[in-house]
Amino acid sequence: MTRRWYPGSRGLLLAVSGLPALAGLAAALWVGADIDALRRVLATPGIELSMASALWSGAIATAIALFLAHIAMALAATGGWRRSLNNLALPLLAMPHLAVGIGLVLVLAPSGLLLRLVSPWASGLTLPPDWQTVQDPFGLSLIAGLVIKETCFLLLVLHAALSQVPAERLLQQARSLGYGRIKGWFVAVAPLLQRQIRLPLAAVLVFGMTNVELAIPLGPGLPPTFAVLLWQWFTDPDPQIHAQAYTGTLLLFAMTLLVLGGAAACGAAVRRVSQHWATGGARGVRERGLRYGLSGLLAALWALGMLAVVAIILRSASGTWRFPAVLPSGDVLSAWRVLAPPALDIAPQTVMFAIATAVAGLLLVLPAAESVHRNTDARRLIGALLFLPLLLPQMTFLFGVQVLLTRLRIDGTFVAVLWSHLIFALPYLWSLVAPARAAIDLRFADVARTLGASRQRTWWRITAPLLARTGLVAFALAFSVSVALYLPTLFAGAGRVATAATEAAAAAASGSLRLASMHAILLSVLPFFAFAIAYTGGALLFRQRRGVPR
Amino acid sequence: MNALVIDRVSLRIGGQPLFSDLSVRVEPGTVTSVIGRSGSGKSSLLAFLCGTLPGSFAASGRILLGDEDLTSAAPENRRLGILFQDALLFPHLNVRGNLLFGLRHGGSRRARRQHADDALESMGLAGFGDRDPETLSGGQKSRVALLRVLLSEPRALLLDEPFSSLDDDSRNQVRLLVFDQARAHGLPTLLVTHDREDVEAAGGPVVSLTDNRQESV
Repeated sequence: MTRRWYPGSRGLLLAVSGLPALAGLAAALWVGADIDALRRVLATPGIELSMASALWSGAIATAIALFLAHIAMALAATGGWRRSLNNLALPLLAMPHLAVGIGLVLVLAPSGLLLRLVSPWASGLTLPPDWQTVQDPFGLSLIAGLVIKETCFLLLVLHAALSQVPAERLLQQARSLGYGRIKGWFVAVAPLLQRQIRLPLAAVLVFGMTNVELAIPLGPGLPPTFAVLLWQWFTDPDPQIHAQAYTGTLLLFAMTLLVLGGAAACGAAVRRVSQHWATGGARGVRERGLRYGLSGLLAALWALGMLAVVAIILRSASGTWRFPAVLPSGDVLSAWRVLAPPALDIAPQTVMFAIATAVAGLLLVLPAAESVHRNTDARRLIGALLFLPLLLPQMTFLFGVQVLLTRLRIDGTFVAVLWSHLIFALPYLWSLVAPARAAIDLRFADVARTLGASRQRTWWRITAPLLARTGLVAFALAFSVSVALYLPTLFAGAGRVATAATEAAAAAASGSLRLASMHAILLSVLPFFAFAIAYTGGALLFRQRRGVPR
Repeated sequence: MNALVIDRVSLRIGGQPLFSDLSVRVEPGTVTSVIGRSGSGKSSLLAFLCGTLPGSFAASGRILLGDEDLTSAAPENRRLGILFQDALLFPHLNVRGNLLFGLRHGGSRRARRQHADDALESMGLAGFGDRDPETLSGGQKSRVALLRVLLSEPRALLLDEPFSSLDDDSRNQVRLLVFDQARAHGLPTLLVTHDREDVEAAGGPVVSLTDNRQESV
């Protein structure tokens, strides 16, 4: 046998992803283990509320998003519908959390788009009411934001898991036994899919509990969620408070471990109950009302997300926007003339990191995918290992990474930021590219080799073209992940690297919603164009070749 | 052309022997059939001959073409053509592109193109060069696959049940065509099959993998 042309590719891939996460965690444990600081953290007024609201909003939002994603799948049980479902979810999926958060503030706030739409003709309001509809103490607006984003993400994940489960036939079987569409889905299909999506689901839960991207614009204010509190401490000049932040990330990590353990227990309980439910014989055929109600809820959430997009555009363009006018008055262009230049200034830097992340990510993933394309177990194992950093609170290991980078004097460099972005892009790249590579008939390469093509020529002439469409989408996905990343850019960039995400977060935190909207537009437009180009490019590519995989 | 010689070849997977000490000599211009139950290692034998056997198999023995030992040669240097049950036309290339992928290097672009189009015409597929392989019928696909392998100027032909996915009408036609072409090119041909009709049409020696016995029809 000839020598493989991808020696060490798997090790390199895992090292790029795992080393910083492990080293960062170790460094965080080393620096953060400080009993005095821990005492001060625990003595902070309202700390229990901070922790509770982080836990509550993350857990509730994850549960609702998971339920709704399954409902959407069950309702769109035929292939055609499911594809449109994906198309509907895509804009909200591509839109970064920060942009969704900023947009939702503009929609839900007392002076927001939602109340403007019904005022004064229906509500009788001529002034914004004194209601706390965003940043509410119960975290309801935060939960709404998380649910909108994570339902879309889980839909995508469930859709991908369908390749492992004969969902359509199982559902048909269940329905022919007299079960309704929703109950049929939950007893016959959902348990099988659930097994496939454990890691992404855990990542959603951890993100929900520990994110700042949605919690800064939408989360409760006094006290903020625990992650936002830590984020505030990190930006505090006082070294004592800084030390509290270090120790706090360890508390956050401990909380995460506890919650993941709790979630596993909950999962087991739900499985037991659902088995009981599945074998009880009840058919649940009178689902009509339930179906309409849930479809309506899904549509409302989707509309809320889309309204957020509209609101961002309107707010950024508005000079004055008196309540209850639906559209801003004044010179739209003059508002943009002032705000667009600073937003566009950071676009090149943002795009540069995004392209570098996508290119480097594909260069790491493609050879490794090549090396395991005959080995399903190895493919799954690598996928799981790449996902592990997403099960850590970002702040904990990123802070450790920052400590190490500062020691090595490479904090704030291009490579440091790129590396931190790769950690978050690689699991998604792998989950797209590796299965697509494995799905290509092995015998195509065998035929090419026996026709006289070398291993390299076979890859470039046969494998690469057959992977091209997936590669384009993977590129867009990695690009979008990079554009959206806030904390990694902040920490690895030592606060000196400005991208659309860092500027949007800073503007949102300081309450200047107009500037935040401008940055949020850039945040949303970049991923949108990346996906648009990927899908049109993929459609144009080999458009006269029906046998090329989609 | 030289004879294809399989010299005391044994294959094992996970410690389990598939077959052992198989020795077959295939003369140029003749077709030898290998029969055996599914799972008896027929396809693995062909993969071993091609050099594309996955690393999970353990193999011993030699493969010779005349005096040349191919056992450790790279697949692309063996020049053993193979046809599978599916035509496996590359889906991103048109029919001509598939043929040109097989055609040996050399000649101008125009001459190569002409060569491919002539070959298509010789098989009754004139004008098919620009077609998407996916739009072809099963029999047409098989003929393009046969042309593709012939244009690569193989020194032997390996057939992995290449007729079993065809419908009854085209199966006989394609079968005769493949055997005729193999004989016309003087290729030593090894056919792996479980179809009795294939064996009868091939008309050459028969090797049973199950009990490692050679018989003549």
